[in-house]
Amino acid sequence: MVRLILRRLGLGLITVALVTGIIFVAIEMLPGDACVAYLERDAVGQRLENCREQLGLNRPAIQRYGLWVGAAIRGDLGVSASGGKDIATLVGDRFRNTLLLALCAIVAGVPLSLFLGVVTALNRDKSADLVVSSIAILAMTIPEFVTATVLIFVFSIWLEWVPGIVMTSAGAPVAAFFPEIVLPTAALTLVMAAHILRTVRSSVIEVMASDYVQMATLKGVPYWQIIFRHVLPNALLPAINVVALTIAWLLGGVVVIEKVFNYPGLGRLMIDAISDRDIPVVQAIALILATVYVAVNLGADVLTLLLNPRLRTLQMRGTR
Amino acid sequence: MRKLTGLVFMAILASISVVRAEPTGTFRQAHEVGSGNASDLDPISKGRVFQITEKIMSRLVRPSMEGTPSPDLAVSWSANSDATVWTFKLRSGVKFHDGKPFTSEDAVYSLQRVIDPKLDSPAKSTLKGVTKIEAIDPLTLSLTLAAPKADLPLVLTDYRLRMIPAGSGDTIKSTGIGTGPFKVEKFDPQGVTVLTANMDYWEGPPAVARMEIIGIPDAQARLQALLGGQLDMEPGISRQQSALIQRNPKLKLQEVPTGNWRGIVLRTDVKPFDDVRVRKAIRMAVDRKAMVGLVAAGAGFIGCDTPVGPKDQYRLEEDVATMCPQDIKGAKALLAEAGYPDGIDFDLYVSTVESVWPTIAEAFQQQVAAAGIRVKIVQVPSDGYWSQVWLKKDATMTRWNERPADSLFNEVYRTGASWNESHQSDPKFDAMLDAAGKELDFAKRKDMYAAIQRYLWENTGTYVVYHATVFVGLSARVKDLDAVENFSIRWNRVRVD
Repeated sequence: MVRLILRRLGLGLITVALVTGIIFVAIEMLPGDACVAYLERDAVGQRLENCREQLGLNRPAIQRYGLWVGAAIRGDLGVSASGGKDIATLVGDRFRNTLLLALCAIVAGVPLSLFLGVVTALNRDKSADLVVSSIAILAMTIPEFVTATVLIFVFSIWLEWVPGIVMTSAGAPVAAFFPEIVLPTAALTLVMAAHILRTVRSSVIEVMASDYVQMATLKGVPYWQIIFRHVLPNALLPAINVVALTIAWLLGGVVVIEKVFNYPGLGRLMIDAISDRDIPVVQAIALILATVYVAVNLGADVLTLLLNPRLRTLQMRGTR
Repeated sequence: MRKLTGLVFMAILASISVVRAEPTGTFRQAHEVGSGNASDLDPISKGRVFQITEKIMSRLVRPSMEGTPSPDLAVSWSANSDATVWTFKLRSGVKFHDGKPFTSEDAVYSLQRVIDPKLDSPAKSTLKGVTKIEAIDPLTLSLTLAAPKADLPLVLTDYRLRMIPAGSGDTIKSTGIGTGPFKVEKFDPQGVTVLTANMDYWEGPPAVARMEIIGIPDAQARLQALLGGQLDMEPGISRQQSALIQRNPKLKLQEVPTGNWRGIVLRTDVKPFDDVRVRKAIRMAVDRKAMVGLVAAGAGFIGCDTPVGPKDQYRLEEDVATMCPQDIKGAKALLAEAGYPDGIDFDLYVSTVESVWPTIAEAFQQQVAAAGIRVKIVQVPSDGYWSQVWLKKDATMTRWNERPADSLFNEVYRTGASWNESHQSDPKFDAMLDAAGKELDFAKRKDMYAAIQRYLWENTGTYVVYHATVFVGLSARVKDLDAVENFSIRWNRVRVD
């Protein structure tokens, strides 16, 4: 068991290491560099040389990669190319804001989607199921920037219930983000809830059709007891992985939502840094997101292993 | 009789004090956080947020509604006979936001910073040729130039040449102390910057009590914020979006002609463009009116390759239809005369640095094809466009922001200028420029600049496609916001209901 978790951890670390290499190579392959992007028409002669000297862009790529990885392991993410600010502090607030947004979406979305998933499954093919399932499919298919724009149009411009664009600055206290955070949360929740709902629904339907549930029914176990004791514990196991994946997606995939709503999170910082060619910042964010993604998936795997004895032994046999 | 005059005078005074009521309301505007984390309040740094500095700091000279130099912190100015030594009389009784009086010492310090090679300000080129800046007495300033410059007052209207307290160079980035109608209460470039009314402003307190300048990098988000009533002003409205605003009763739209232009540059030092006939033939073959209709839905001003803005006092007032209509036959004849009876082929380098460039390039390709000019469009990445392509390839796209006529000619067309994109090397043009630059009589100078613009039409390698008209979206509660180019707006007059 411990060996298995350690093995997973090792694999996760290798993934993160690979990601650092890929990020670095990808950025190296882009034309121009941080100085050319920052200086625009002034990127000539001495001014360009000074800038490159300052950021250490004159050194060979391999050397720069080594220095960057070395510093990152020590927790030093370097300084940003534009403005020369410390990246750790720059990213700190944004990371908190993205977490806040993700948390709001999880608090609103996970219980809602679990509940709706079970309800639709138990009412399979009845009108409630049809309506909710159709809405879920719609929410899944429509890209989130469309959902976001429609939400702004309806609730901010038309009905004037909530502000459409977030104007609070990155470093503001958490309370300052309400009520501006409502619409971005709603947009995220819609997409996220649809995914979880679909998985939970099919999982519950599958368990309902299983032999042991039929057995329990024939034995005369009351309906609600079957649902709570036999169906849900078994049906919700696969949901854990979906929820974990969705949380990881929330942290990395909110880029579009943050851009549309001007939300000061990691995603928007990443986009701005890419257009500024602020390479140290791009690298740092990509590294953070990759680490979070790996960590959340690892956590979900461990949780599933703990809750499902069958999977544990199967895996053990497989590794031998 | 005297009593009556006195009464009338008092009545006028009373009515003025009614107009000059306490500042009220909040005006909200966005900025695009163009410099990201490098944003600051130093008016001459690369990271200056001009949407803030323009409201908190004053210039010596500001543009009037007609674009002529008019007094701001300088009340009057004069030059010696050959326009190499200029004397500026400064306004007395003006106070900085920290209570210190504004004197010539501050003016010297502010301008000296601009030309300081160590600071290497992007605004440095505006004061090129200024050799000495000195204070004659506390309210008199003198500028000495290496070469005559009749339009120095116009140069001083540049949006970056703002006055800050002497010795504040190290702190100005965050304090933003100036003499403008508003002062900084909180500076937060990524979030909300708060400005409050400066009750000691020399023209009297502004009409608005508070301004919020909000950082929103995404253009779409800024538009949404305007539509949702979270902003009072948004200048970057496209022609297509303008309908959205006109339909909305809570908003209104301003149309402002600017000196910002887009162009196609042909290098005059390489074949075949080194032949003036080829350059002219290419420029004759375009249909200017159709072009601006196609690429900007008509929201632009066209001329005969003059880079001077439509509202500039030196703009050549010539009719495009008579001076430079599309002339395919003439273009073909000129090409044949230059030794290209079968037409010419060239590559035009285009990127998306400016979103309309690809459209301009395609329309251009179609229009000139009739004259036997075969253009191949080469798409290049926008990254590194200014360093790798522009100034280097034979035919490229360009764009420029509004500048006074004199600066335009010197920066873009003079032999040896570092941004001389067409590589023009023409002693005759330079001589005309020198002569106009030192002519102190305005009428004569205007004629000389007109001649320069006609000369450009005959000779230049730069096709000026159009000067853009910008659309400014305003909330309906905004009053008295001048419908002029941004840096001429008198922010102290703006009201909100």
